[in-house]
Amino acid sequence: MSRNVDPITLSTTWHAFQSIAREMRHVIDRTAQSYLLAQLHDMAAGIWDAQGRTIAVPEGPTSMFLSQHFCVEYILEHFGDDLHPGDVFCTNDPYHSQCNHLPDWGFIRPIFYDGELVFMALTRGHMMDTGGSFPGGYFPNGYDIHAEGLIIPPIKVFSKGRERTDVLQLLWNNVRFPEGVKIDNFSLMAALQVCENRITAMLDKYGKDTVLDCVEEMIDRMETSVRSQIRDMPDGTYYGESATDDDGTTLDEQVWVRLDATVKGEELTLDFSKSDDQRKGFVNCVEASTFSRAVAGAFLYFDPELAPFHNAGSMRPVNVICRPGSVCNAQYPATVGGSPVNVGTQILEATVMALSKARPDKAIAGWGRRRGHYLSAIDPRTNERYVQTTTDADGGAGAVSGYDGFEGAMGMSGLGAIQRGSVEEIEIKFPWRTVNYHFVPDMSGAGQYRGGSGMLWEVENLGTDAPVATGSSDGDLTQPPGVQGGDNGPLSRMYIRKGDKKTPARTHRMIEVKTGEILGKVSGGGGGVGDPFKRDPSAVLKDVINDFVTLEGARNTYGVVIDTDTMTVDEEATDALRASA
Amino acid sequence: MFNICIDVGGTFTDCLVMDSKGSLRQFKSPTTYPDPSIGFMSSLEKAAQGFEIALQSMLSDVDLLIHGTTLATNTLINRNGAKTGMITTRGFRDVVEIRRGYKNIRTSMYNVFVPPYDPLIPRHLRKEAEERVLFDGSVHTELNEDDVRKAAAELKEKGCQSLAVCFLHSYANDDHEKRAAAIAREVMGDDVYITTSADILSVWREWERFSTTSVSAYTGPEVKRYMENLVSRLDENQFGGTLLMMLSDGLVETVEYCKPRVVNLIGSGPAAAPAAAIYMGNAAGQKNLLSFDMGGTSIDIGLIQDGRIPTTTDAWVQDERVAIKMVDVKSAGAGGGSIAWIDSLGLLRVGPQSAGSTPGPACYGNGGEDPTVTDLDIALGYMDPDFFLGGEIPLDPELSRNAIQDKIGDPLGMNVNEAAQAAMTTVVSYMADQITEISTTVGFDVRDMAIVAGGGAGPMHAPFIAERLGVPNVIVPTIAATYSAFGMFAMDVGRNYARSYIVRADNLELDRVNAHYDDMREEAVDGFASQGVKPEDGVFHRTCEIRYIGQYHEVEVDMPDGHLTDAHIQTAIEAFHDRHKELYTFNMHWKGVEFLTFRLRATAPKKPIHMQSNELAGPDASGAIKGHRDAWFDGKIFDTPVYDGGKLGAGNEIQGPAIIEEPTTTVVVPASYRCTVDNLHGYQLELKTKSQADAGVTL
Repeated sequence: MSRNVDPITLSTTWHAFQSIAREMRHVIDRTAQSYLLAQLHDMAAGIWDAQGRTIAVPEGPTSMFLSQHFCVEYILEHFGDDLHPGDVFCTNDPYHSQCNHLPDWGFIRPIFYDGELVFMALTRGHMMDTGGSFPGGYFPNGYDIHAEGLIIPPIKVFSKGRERTDVLQLLWNNVRFPEGVKIDNFSLMAALQVCENRITAMLDKYGKDTVLDCVEEMIDRMETSVRSQIRDMPDGTYYGESATDDDGTTLDEQVWVRLDATVKGEELTLDFSKSDDQRKGFVNCVEASTFSRAVAGAFLYFDPELAPFHNAGSMRPVNVICRPGSVCNAQYPATVGGSPVNVGTQILEATVMALSKARPDKAIAGWGRRRGHYLSAIDPRTNERYVQTTTDADGGAGAVSGYDGFEGAMGMSGLGAIQRGSVEEIEIKFPWRTVNYHFVPDMSGAGQYRGGSGMLWEVENLGTDAPVATGSSDGDLTQPPGVQGGDNGPLSRMYIRKGDKKTPARTHRMIEVKTGEILGKVSGGGGGVGDPFKRDPSAVLKDVINDFVTLEGARNTYGVVIDTDTMTVDEEATDALRASA
Repeated sequence: MFNICIDVGGTFTDCLVMDSKGSLRQFKSPTTYPDPSIGFMSSLEKAAQGFEIALQSMLSDVDLLIHGTTLATNTLINRNGAKTGMITTRGFRDVVEIRRGYKNIRTSMYNVFVPPYDPLIPRHLRKEAEERVLFDGSVHTELNEDDVRKAAAELKEKGCQSLAVCFLHSYANDDHEKRAAAIAREVMGDDVYITTSADILSVWREWERFSTTSVSAYTGPEVKRYMENLVSRLDENQFGGTLLMMLSDGLVETVEYCKPRVVNLIGSGPAAAPAAAIYMGNAAGQKNLLSFDMGGTSIDIGLIQDGRIPTTTDAWVQDERVAIKMVDVKSAGAGGGSIAWIDSLGLLRVGPQSAGSTPGPACYGNGGEDPTVTDLDIALGYMDPDFFLGGEIPLDPELSRNAIQDKIGDPLGMNVNEAAQAAMTTVVSYMADQITEISTTVGFDVRDMAIVAGGGAGPMHAPFIAERLGVPNVIVPTIAATYSAFGMFAMDVGRNYARSYIVRADNLELDRVNAHYDDMREEAVDGFASQGVKPEDGVFHRTCEIRYIGQYHEVEVDMPDGHLTDAHIQTAIEAFHDRHKELYTFNMHWKGVEFLTFRLRATAPKKPIHMQSNELAGPDASGAIKGHRDAWFDGKIFDTPVYDGGKLGAGNEIQGPAIIEEPTTTVVVPASYRCTVDNLHGYQLELKTKSQADAGVTL
């Protein structure tokens, strides 16, 4: 086949798809009212083609991104002859269309050109409520998927450009904050409209055939590049594993994800079959969620130059196997509410554990665990009920070969694409006052390269008594893994404080923070890479000066003795201490 | 009476002078380090010589002197600012290092092999004080003055020359910040540069405010010192006019205003370039433009859509978030002084290392041994070594050729001509890629735009880049060499003001809004006085920011002038609904709205520029040919005609390949372009059509 592709048109259209997807994200960011969407960027926007192949997914949380073709393919398969210009679908259903969990509502718009279906645009974001047992999501103890909220299989909410108001009313009637959810629904749908406008303009300019030729070229070029990246990994099978604290229903029993990663020539197989069976509790991932995390983990080992351009071609040489009935491929009616944080994160961690063995020169440690929560109460300033969540307490990134972990980056599932909140914006919007928000010394996984630091985060409840679901927290019992002799990220803890009296609180539970009480979290940071005794003593000194590491930590964990009079490394004592180990 | 614009770039100081008749003359002199005010004065001396008067006589007869400088940007980029400390609210000392979890600034989320952010103010220099203000401006915890004293003493002990005071919610009440600054002043002394966050960026969102404040504090002492030197040098020389600094938002301000708020000078020079491109584009009937400014160390690229100056409040400068409003200009490290070199893989590269003005390119004969882009220009015959800056700086072509042979030719087994061409191809494709990246990442096809080529080296290279990208039009203004300085003539004088008042529309108190606008207007009138503008010449433009209750981002809409009534507020709300739809395809009449920030932009209309138009002439340009020389195009050597720019008339046509020499710049017309001289003495290059090329018009 001879493709009508000149280098500048290819480069321009390729970048244009990326920039359209970024613009979709921008529209959501600017118009949404949910804190998660607008401030923390817990959303995805992208473009797929008429066969459901991924064209552009530049940035978003790993939970709902690289596997959206499962959802697009489902719609193509079930509505293939009933797709029309102006249709918009809505779905959040894990078991019909492979959505991640119920709060993440997806909107899909087929894009036609000259009467022919050419692309599928999709946006997805975490709604402030989706019905079910508890506002917001991450309720740890639902009986089955029906207890977790309204389940929406792919349905048309716009048909040939006409709003199906009755259908939308049915959805909004089943959520707790219908007005807020309505705004966010319109925000996600507006981004689809923008996408259609931009794509139509691009097709007008270059011609449909040229653009479609460019798409084929983009996919082929990525496939070729990724195959050559895999060829650079030595053939073999590499094992990785990681656990979450518990499933929120059977308490204190850890749930394991286990991975055999096999490199053979130009193909990579990620087989999660040995993972635990699906659980009663809310940690189960559907196949698409597992696929998305696993592929994201693999991308980290490929040339960073490819990073912004990944598409369906990148996924062709990567084969993900998920055993039906396991926590990595849950079957109806398993609950899935907590899976983006619990088991979801572990899939990513198990992937980097295994592939860091395949590419020891590109080792990656686990990042500080998520320390989120969802709560709902009344704001006395307006007498209105609100729902709130946070990413602020998470520890930093894990270390990598050559660099310490990125300070301040939140949980690994975001890979830096999800942000933390603004203290001032939170205080304007919600009746919570932040009391403390800073790094804590000795709270990172030690190593030749250390993990990003953990945090102390405390907030005071100025509203009515607040029930809190701690389902989006993990790491009381389990740790983000270190690699190549680097320490795991430290354990995290949580408490409710009244004056000086602290009552411990746990992950995956329902707790209550009363008016005037303080919710406190001390998070563990990321894991380390390499032996801490091999860390450059001057880097340890710098950490001590900046109070990331204490003098005792320097001596005991890193084998570095610091002369406190001169604040320099006592090299002789350090050498002796390190030699005696 | 003179009006003068001076742009101090990394390599050259450009000086553009308009006399009372409105005619422009340009002068260039090397930028001097460590004190750029010396080069600033040399450029003025050169101008005085040009006008054949004494420097003092000229300076005493200046009305307005507008000045852009890269000093703040370079101080930040080179990380050679002051040792800076911070005093912040207890419990929040890591706000600038946590930085809301932003990791993927210029890298993808799938690239984790990036070093952690290295904050401008390291953790041990960030001290805490007990205090707390709430979002409504009320005080939750009084300022503990002993904490401030102790922190200030420790930071002084550690040798900090600059201090940023950053407290939560100071945009709503800055009493604590002001008090802490006063205490720190007592403790640390008058030599220390002290900045408060509410003074730098009085809007909510602490990280954006603290980060911007840190940048200001870090770059402040160096830039303040420079401005003080400058003022005293001007005073010594009888300067009688008003000195205004070019700001990053495309407006200008007094030195007194800038000294404590140096962050406003980040990107100061390049911010003027889009205004120049728009002016030139208007003359040529082009509204979609790519402003290409190539100096000694970098290229600055601004993308102009529909004739509007692009601005952003989302800027990152290097690894720092700078949240003030800035003209959106992107930089890349390749200029006339950039060094061509062979990397460890044996690949030919160019920049980002630059030979600067000392030692400068090899041909300067100041000891530079590395071949630079300028050396390539000489070896390839584009530039006449005896005519650099009109012959002011003699260049030695042998030194260029030697450097090219030694550093590129020998390692690659090429002769000097082959090596020079290979290196030039690398330079051109690198710059073309940079332009493609910048334009297409926002979805523009560069082939739909015209390139406006400025900077001393721009007109020599932009045509080759255009040729490579298939861009049909290149505009070379006559003042190309002092392009940004010209932009300073082409833009408005004024200032932006803002007041935050966060309120739902149904609770809005009209008196408060009117008081805010009256307040800002009063401040603006005072500001005009310091800028030498009469209040009656001022143009006041009000806007306000509105959002739907619950949203996190606002939309800016116009507000009418004069005393506001309920009807005006309703009109603004309607405008908001419309604008929301225009921007985002939908609106929500059923949902309540809230007001956040009220803004006033006060400007004085620019003085008209009368550029002298040159005489109309026919297409025949042969009278301006001053000779021929060998130059390389597409791998072949051509006996290329060299035109004297001063002798060309409006309407003259020149077929590529050709070289046009002006005193401060050289235009190279590739074989595939035709050049027409316009009536403002600029050059319009146009890609020949295929049939023209086939018909042999080419040669």
